[in-house]
Amino acid sequence: MGKRFLKKELAFLRSGRVIVGVALVGIVVSCALFAPFLAPHDPEEQNLITTLLPPAWSAGGDPAYLLGTDSLGRDVLSRLLYGARVAMTVAVAASFGAMLIGSTLAHLAGYFGGKVDWLIGRAVDVWMSFPPVVLSLVLMTGLGAGISSVILAIVLVDWTRFCRVLRAEVLVTRRQDYVAAARLVGFSHWRTLTREILPATMPLLITLLSIEMGIAVIVEAILSFVGMSVGANQSAWGQMIADARQTLYESGWNLVLPMLAIFVTVLGFNLLGDGLRRTLDPRLLQAREL
Amino acid sequence: MTSSVLAAENLAVESRLHDGRRLPVLSGISFALEAGKVLGLVGESGAGKSMIGRAVAQLLPPGFSVAGGSLAFAGRDLVRMGVQARRQLLGREIAFIPQEPLSALNPVMTIGAQFGEHLARLGITSQMRRREEARAMLEAVHLPRAAELLRQFPHELSGGMCQRVLIAMAFASRPKLVIADEPTTALDATIQARIIGLMGEMRDAYGAALMFITHDLRLAAEFCDEIVVLYAGRAVEKGEARKLLSSPLHPYTRCLQLAVPSLSAPERELFTLPGEMPGLARLGALEGCRFAPRCPNVGEICRKEEPKLLAVAPSREAACFRTELTLAIETLNQAAPASPKRTAPLLRVDGLKKRYVSRRGLFGSTDVLAIDDVSFAVAENEFVGVVGESGSGKSTLAKLIIGLERPSSGRIELCGQDAFDRSEAARRRRIETAQMVFQDPQSALNPRRRAASIVTQVLEAAAPRLSLNERQQRAEELLAEVGLSAELGGRYPSQLSGGQKQRVNIARALCAAPKLLIADEIVSGLDVSVQAQLIALLHRLRRELSFALLFISHDLAVVRKLCERVLVMWRGKVVEEGLTAQVFATPQHPYTRELVGASNTGRIANSE
Repeated sequence: MGKRFLKKELAFLRSGRVIVGVALVGIVVSCALFAPFLAPHDPEEQNLITTLLPPAWSAGGDPAYLLGTDSLGRDVLSRLLYGARVAMTVAVAASFGAMLIGSTLAHLAGYFGGKVDWLIGRAVDVWMSFPPVVLSLVLMTGLGAGISSVILAIVLVDWTRFCRVLRAEVLVTRRQDYVAAARLVGFSHWRTLTREILPATMPLLITLLSIEMGIAVIVEAILSFVGMSVGANQSAWGQMIADARQTLYESGWNLVLPMLAIFVTVLGFNLLGDGLRRTLDPRLLQAREL
Repeated sequence: MTSSVLAAENLAVESRLHDGRRLPVLSGISFALEAGKVLGLVGESGAGKSMIGRAVAQLLPPGFSVAGGSLAFAGRDLVRMGVQARRQLLGREIAFIPQEPLSALNPVMTIGAQFGEHLARLGITSQMRRREEARAMLEAVHLPRAAELLRQFPHELSGGMCQRVLIAMAFASRPKLVIADEPTTALDATIQARIIGLMGEMRDAYGAALMFITHDLRLAAEFCDEIVVLYAGRAVEKGEARKLLSSPLHPYTRCLQLAVPSLSAPERELFTLPGEMPGLARLGALEGCRFAPRCPNVGEICRKEEPKLLAVAPSREAACFRTELTLAIETLNQAAPASPKRTAPLLRVDGLKKRYVSRRGLFGSTDVLAIDDVSFAVAENEFVGVVGESGSGKSTLAKLIIGLERPSSGRIELCGQDAFDRSEAARRRRIETAQMVFQDPQSALNPRRRAASIVTQVLEAAAPRLSLNERQQRAEELLAEVGLSAELGGRYPSQLSGGQKQRVNIARALCAAPKLLIADEIVSGLDVSVQAQLIALLHRLRRELSFALLFISHDLAVVRKLCERVLVMWRGKVVEEGLTAQVFATPQHPYTRELVGASNTGRIANSE
């Protein structure tokens, strides 16, 4: 009886957050994957006769350019689709990289405590005392422009977020008697960490991962905005915003569309992360069979 | 009717589910409480006793509402009263004493500030007079150095002192009614007796009516004038307190009475009620008497018709068709447990010390000796109890023996081998020799593992490649051993009841077939009928599996029931040691005497 009511509630949660999140992220990911098939034009093909066309549905639009063209006459839709490739590559690679470093250190620090915790804690402190924007710009200058440098910069800046937040969760779990009990029945440290603690921190880890993907999308946009990400011959959302600045008054669409793309992507990741955390956590599955 | 402070007539509370169905949580509750009297509401968790207190305060959880009947305070209807009017009453004419004194006080405000806030609400405007009044009230509850206390923060006080402060605050408004919801459950036995005495004293001094909500039938019988026994949302018995305990009319009351171990009564087996109280979701579908599935006296009629609460004797009411059979429920007299043959000690603790360093300020640090020169031995197949109040070092001792903490000095030997050998082989050996059952099953069971996986964790550690089938088989064996059905193996801890969780907890420790089991307060915090079930389980397991048990508890009566030998701990030292019967009958050390005395107050010997 109680179960039926709970299933209903969970179904609501799924439809509410996960479904919307999955839908948004799914759209962006498929745009990225199928960009070559979806794009009506070559994103770098300039057509200086048809520059700054408005979207097809407004006055003066050209049905061949669904979302209009930019100041060099490149098709905005195609550029957005190819931009999604850059954004998704960075989002997935950078957040997984940051997650791997950050959560490994967090689990070691929280589980072993003492000197290990002190060392990792101080490393995080020192790391975080550099302003993140400055740190990433310095890193980018050192590493040189390019998509792999962007990924590396995000990993090196953002692993501390995983480390700090997860360490607290590991500490809480570590104090539970079931962790002590696992050691007492003969679990090795490795098994205790992976079988007892990791499942408890997993919901938080997934939430962080999803939010980090959103952040990575933004950071990539910032770096490509200042021209430190992909080269000029590749389209990225930040670059599109930067290009559209000059023609802001003639064509606002050029500015709004890539911003909208970023907004939708980040919103999707955040909703997905939150929804997953809620559905993955069995503590919320209080289905008592009475 | 008009003379009573609080009167309930056919009070019913129901819970509305999301699909619109309504479940009766409480039904047909009637009582009348007069000024200067104490009414006890007794029942196990889930019986609905706290719901009555919450109904008075109109603090029912979301989805719960009063569905019928009336609840009147001094002739005024509490259920249909407006928010404003109720606010005028609560905290003034109706006061509350909470269960957890420490969480009821604001940790960032001094006692004086909190007390002053309360008094300001009562209309004392001058700060001077507020301070005077607060001091007077703290003195009335026998707190020493009241003026100094007002400047202290809650964490600087012990649990008992906090509870005294809260009692002082409750009575400061000269209330007509005080509702105390399990006010002593979180406290040590010695303090519990004093708090109960204090509440009685305050009641006499201020002439308030008291509603005392508790799970402890004997405590209620000692303290209350009238008792209502609740079972699954129904009042099953009502009557004058002492008579109710000495000659219960309802079989449930009788079973409760027989399930509580006693320190002084002759040794007899505890009555173990089979099964569990039906949960909320099942209440609606029940037919007949709600106690019928567990009742030893169940008859044809009980399963068909629900008995009403009827007067059976003068000022005695019971909801049972066969009250005449109730007193026939009996338990066997228990032969004194044969003390096992003295063999080579399984566990030997020698000169054990554990020092904690607590830092104060920048330079100062004080040492606390949690365990101070403790030596004892446990023989094979022997049940040894360790008693003492919180802070006496009982739990630290358990952690040292099992190896969760390292001692500052001293020696622990398991089967003649040093337990502090740090090699991997020694660790393996200790795992096979000694296991621990943790106190709080909530924290001791991984919420993300199913019961079957929890109980076979030992196998997972020893042989990670064991097939799932073999593990499942062993899990079923273990679950059967602790009296759980195999289907429960598929459940997560959150889907198990408190007693079932503790059984899973025990089963996990038994998986390695240890020679020594260390149990830290494993029956405290459980309902008496569940407690009796677990004690019976430990007795049976001992016969079947033969292991030694180091049983840590603050409840002397439970230790008497279970252990042949007992250690009394006080401030990190073992102050008395000997055969349980002897120690509790003729305590030598003053502290033991106090402990035994405190455990005996509130315990009227059975009439038979």
